[in-house]
Amino acid sequence: MRTWDIIGNRRWGYLLSLLVIIPGVIALLVWHINLGIDFTGGTLLNLRLGREASLEQVRAVLQPFGLEDAVIQKSPDRPREVLIRSRPLDEERTAALEAAYARQFGGAEVLRAERVGPTIGRELRQKAVQAVIIGLILQVVYITWRFRSIRFAISADIALIHDLLVVVGLFALLRKEVDSSFVAVLLTVVGYSINDTVVILDRIRENVNLRLREPFGRLVNRSMLEVLVRSLTTGFGAIVALIILYFFGGPTLRDFVFGLGVGVVTGTYSSIFVASPVLVEWHNWSERRQRRPVTAGTAPADVPAPEPAAVGRSAAGGAASGGGAAGGSGGRRRNRRRR
Amino acid sequence: MRLRSLWLVLIVLLALAAVQLAAAPVAWRNRRPVLQRPRLQVSLGLDLQGGSHIVLEAKDTPAVKATAEAVDGAMEIIRSRIDELGVVEPTIQRQGERRIIVELPGVEDPQQAIRLIGKTALLEFVNTGTVSLPAGSTWNAAGTAVTLPAPERRTVPLKKEVVVTGADLADARAAFEQGQVNTGEPIVAFRFKGAGAKKFEEFTGSHVGQYLTIVLDNDVISSPVIRDRIAGGSGQISGNFTLESARELAVLLRAGALPIPVEVVERRTVGPSLGRDSLDLSLRAGSIAVVLIVVFMLIQYRFPGILADLALLLYALFLFATLAGLNATMTLPGIAAFVISVGMAIDANVLIFERIKEELRAGKTLRAGIQAGWDRAWGAILDSNVTTLVGAAVLFVLGTGPIKGFATTLFLGVLISMFTAIVVTRVLVDALARPPIDRFLRFGV
Repeated sequence: MRTWDIIGNRRWGYLLSLLVIIPGVIALLVWHINLGIDFTGGTLLNLRLGREASLEQVRAVLQPFGLEDAVIQKSPDRPREVLIRSRPLDEERTAALEAAYARQFGGAEVLRAERVGPTIGRELRQKAVQAVIIGLILQVVYITWRFRSIRFAISADIALIHDLLVVVGLFALLRKEVDSSFVAVLLTVVGYSINDTVVILDRIRENVNLRLREPFGRLVNRSMLEVLVRSLTTGFGAIVALIILYFFGGPTLRDFVFGLGVGVVTGTYSSIFVASPVLVEWHNWSERRQRRPVTAGTAPADVPAPEPAAVGRSAAGGAASGGGAAGGSGGRRRNRRRR
Repeated sequence: MRLRSLWLVLIVLLALAAVQLAAAPVAWRNRRPVLQRPRLQVSLGLDLQGGSHIVLEAKDTPAVKATAEAVDGAMEIIRSRIDELGVVEPTIQRQGERRIIVELPGVEDPQQAIRLIGKTALLEFVNTGTVSLPAGSTWNAAGTAVTLPAPERRTVPLKKEVVVTGADLADARAAFEQGQVNTGEPIVAFRFKGAGAKKFEEFTGSHVGQYLTIVLDNDVISSPVIRDRIAGGSGQISGNFTLESARELAVLLRAGALPIPVEVVERRTVGPSLGRDSLDLSLRAGSIAVVLIVVFMLIQYRFPGILADLALLLYALFLFATLAGLNATMTLPGIAAFVISVGMAIDANVLIFERIKEELRAGKTLRAGIQAGWDRAWGAILDSNVTTLVGAAVLFVLGTGPIKGFATTLFLGVLISMFTAIVVTRVLVDALARPPIDRFLRFGV
């Protein structure tokens, strides 16, 4: 197999990430995220008119209701359907509006009609924030506990934050509307991102336990290549499934599936180009720090926080003693070595 | 080996039970099994079958506080109003202290439903003496003054002296006017219960020539003159009704007034055609996606791919059976969750198979390779699935409606996929990892 030096080229990966994240973050700061009526309160009316109508015609009907500021959307593949978002309208006025459209355009079938009162909107917003925060904390706690290593856990978390920034930033950048289901998108993306990262980091750890003389960067690179087929197979499969859902699954699901798709791509990308490189950077950094005070065995307080046992051993480069400490399990595994 | 065949039998039994749970091909008639056309037994969410989700919030009034008892009372009355609508399987739940969630699947005219549900429907017969109020006049909440309708719009002080209320009604029906004038006009005919009938009779007897104003939720419907003493407790309300509005009022009066006013704070309606569209489209897209994944596994892993696909089919079967068994609801995001969990089920097998490939390439025997593949991949599969389970659990607790459906399907899907991808595939692979079949089990190495 030709070896790709992913770790050697990791700076290109950082650059690409920044190229996606920075515009997204700027959009987020400047435009904020486009909150749907779920979070702001309001009325949403999705109608199928008797005949095609231009945006101006649709807006003209809204005028007598004092709703000039409503947002009107049409999708090109469904010319007779319109989506109107406005501030909350009571039932009578909604009915009157529907009737007005029916008169004007030869019928108006209600596909979807939603009204969210302002209090409910505020509550849904709070709940969404709550769900994201609680979900994230629990997931991060699990991962930290699982790796029993701050270094691995934080690498996974950085990849995860990277993915969330990409998804949220892209939604802000594209002015896509965000509703309650966005929370589901975010937490699922986190799940996927962690899934993919865990597989790679697990392999790195396994290899760290096996081989002690390989430079850390090369070991990480090799570990990634070993699981690359799996990563791409799964990512590819998921993307194909989501693309099909996006194009054939109907318009209601589109933004939802879009968010998941972005999450799968960035989740696959980030475990290779973010989580693993961060691990390498950290390793290099702590090596430099350890080398500077040459006096060996100085204050352990100087050593970066709780050293993960396995990584620490290889980091210290203590070949002889480290090998011994790896103990029986390491030896047993070595017998099973691949080539 | 014994253990393996036991597993095999168990899986087959589970699969049969799942088919019955998920699609019910066998029905029991007179204690005898009868074959019937299989139908998916999973109930569909409002976003897939069309319907309305309505959240009502009770409001305090100067007279009544929105206590839990009052809200419960309101719920009962709303339930009987909905029963009159003939909605199939409505759900009415209280949420928190003062909210009521009403779900009406497949309701044809959601606005009529909301008119029926949200009205307080307090009917009052008011003694206005020599004053006849025009229809559309409204009393203020305190009952001390009346605002006349356009074009006058004047507010005049007038005390609301209530004679009887709708609470004393025994029955109300829409009917047509039978008298000399306005024959054929829709009206609401009513009948008072014992005590109410007596009160009504006495009052009409002593106030002949005066006006008895009929007020619904402080709006004046009509203000007829009392021509004669009305005995027997029967009467009628007329006043610009259409047949539909007369029927609605009759329904409201039969069910009784809400003890407290409620307000619609959230309403989501999905029209039947969008619901059907979403169901058809997402099911089609979902099946295309699943078929592609199946084919992909086949190409990538050949014979073991078939086993993984078999496990995947079992997975889908188990998932739908569990959803049906738990009476969970399938929503549109739930279908997306199904596709995601199919991906995760396949991912588990990809992880295992890739691992076996590596071990085989390293020169291991097939058996040792299979053992190592499962042993090593297990941890990674568990972790990735647990993080998704955590996310799904949080969504289940904090989410509502379709999102809850997403969380349910994702949670169950991930759990079941761990079972099928790890246990079922293992049993199948082990059962076949012996001559002469084992030469097909090379995992493409």
